[in-house]
Amino acid sequence: MATFRLPNVLNEVIRAHRDQFLRPVQPKNGVGAFVFPCRKLVFNYCERSGSSKSMMEYLQKEATRFASENPQIEVVVQPRPSKHPIVRAFYTNGEQKTKCVRRCSAGEIPEIVKSLRDHSGHKLHRWNRYVISDTPSVRGIYSPFHDKAVYSISDLKTKQ
Amino acid sequence: MFSTVTRVTSRAGLKLGMVGGSRAALSIATARKMAKESPASGKRVVAEAGSTTYAALEARLNLNFGGHGVMEQVCTHKSFAQGRVEHNERLEWIGKRVLNLFVGEHLLATYPNLSTEALQDVQHSSFGMSSLAEIGRHFGMQAAMRWEPVSREAPAVGLTKVLGKTVQALVGAIYQRQGEAAARAFVKQHVLSRPVDVESVMQIKNPKVMLVALTRQKGMEHPVARILKETGRFTSSPVFIVGVFCGTKMVGMGFGSSLKMAEHRAAKDALLKYYAKEIKDISVTGDEPDVSLFAQDVVV
Repeated sequence: MATFRLPNVLNEVIRAHRDQFLRPVQPKNGVGAFVFPCRKLVFNYCERSGSSKSMMEYLQKEATRFASENPQIEVVVQPRPSKHPIVRAFYTNGEQKTKCVRRCSAGEIPEIVKSLRDHSGHKLHRWNRYVISDTPSVRGIYSPFHDKAVYSISDLKTKQ
Repeated sequence: MFSTVTRVTSRAGLKLGMVGGSRAALSIATARKMAKESPASGKRVVAEAGSTTYAALEARLNLNFGGHGVMEQVCTHKSFAQGRVEHNERLEWIGKRVLNLFVGEHLLATYPNLSTEALQDVQHSSFGMSSLAEIGRHFGMQAAMRWEPVSREAPAVGLTKVLGKTVQALVGAIYQRQGEAAARAFVKQHVLSRPVDVESVMQIKNPKVMLVALTRQKGMEHPVARILKETGRFTSSPVFIVGVFCGTKMVGMGFGSSLKMAEHRAAKDALLKYYAKEIKDISVTGDEPDVSLFAQDVVV
C-alpha cells in the first residue's frame, strides 16, 4: 500500500520552489527523439558444458535474426569457458543487467533476451507518490480550463 | 547497406554465418582476446569499442553514413594514439559552429524579449559543454569514445569536454555528409528538445525597481500590488497571494508568508513573464531546407 503524506502547506511549497532552481526539469527520452536504451547485449556460453546447450541452440538459430531486427543494439557473442551461459545487457544510462540462462529451455531464452532488450536500464524503484512531477505544486496540476486571468478587473466590468 | 559482422575465428565450431546486406551489429570474440583485455584488478571488462559499436550507434541515432568509418572518426579524440589516426578535431570545429548557429537561431526566435547577454547565458548553460556531454552519454557514446585521459589516476578528468566535443563532431559530420537540412533536423530532435532553464540565467536582484522601470519604458501604468487571497494572517504560517496590476491588467502573481515577500515574488513573476516569454510555434524546422529563419523574400 503506497503511503501518501499530506504536505505541510507553505514549507512544502517553498521547498519545492527552491528545488526548482537546483533541480531543473529533467530531459525525457522520447521528447523530440527516442534513443533506444539498450545499447549492447553480450551472450556468453561454454562450448563444452551441458548447461550451455539451449544457449548454443539459440545462438545458432535465432541470434543473427535478432541482431538484424535490432540494428541499434550491439550484439556480442563471446565464449566463456567453464562458466554457465549468461546474457548481459548494457544500457545508455550506464547500468547493466545480467541473466544466467543455465536452466532455461530453448523457448525461454528469446523471452529473456526480449525482456532485457525492452528494459530501460533504470534500477527498480518503489514510488511512494500518486503523482511524480518535476514541478510539484500544492496548488495542483495545471489545468487549461483555469488558465485565463480570473482576476482581471476589466473582465468583471464587461460582464456587468 | 553494409555488413557489420566481425568474425574472429574460434577454435570450436560455433559458426553463425554472415549477416550480409543488413545492418546487424554482431561480433564474435574469442576467449583469448577477452583474457588479454581484462585488467589485473580482476574486474570484469567487456571488449573495447569495435566496428559493431559504431554501426549500432549510427542505427540508434537513425543515421546512415554508409560505413566509411565516419562514426569511428567522430568518436576518436586527437589524444588517442597521439593523433596518428583520423580524429574528430576538424569535424568538431565545424560542428560547433553549426550547432551554435542552429541553437542561437532557435533561442532568438523563441525568446523575443530576452537581452543578448541573457541569450548567451542561456546558450551556455542549457546547450554548453556539460549539456552536450549529457546528450552524448544519453546516446551511449561514452562506451564508443576513443581517447586518452590526461592522467591514469583520474581517468574521468576531461571526459565531459571530450564527450561534448564528440557530439559537436557528430553534428559536423552530419552537416558535411548529409547537408544542412539533416543537421538541422538532428539538432532539433536531439538537442533543442531538451528543457531550457531561463529563470536561473536571469539575475533579478530588485524586481520591484526593475518592474517600475520596465512599465515606464513600455508606457504602461504604474504597477500596484493587491492581495488576491490570504489565510492565517496573524498565525505562525500565513500565506498571502499577491497580484501586481498595471491598471486593470494583472501582470504577475506571487505567494509569500509576508506581504513584502509575496509582493517581491509577484514582481519577479511579472518580469519573468515579460523577459522569458516563449514563442511556441516558431518556423525554424528541418522541413523547409532552404529557408533561413530571417530570409523573408530570399530563398536560396
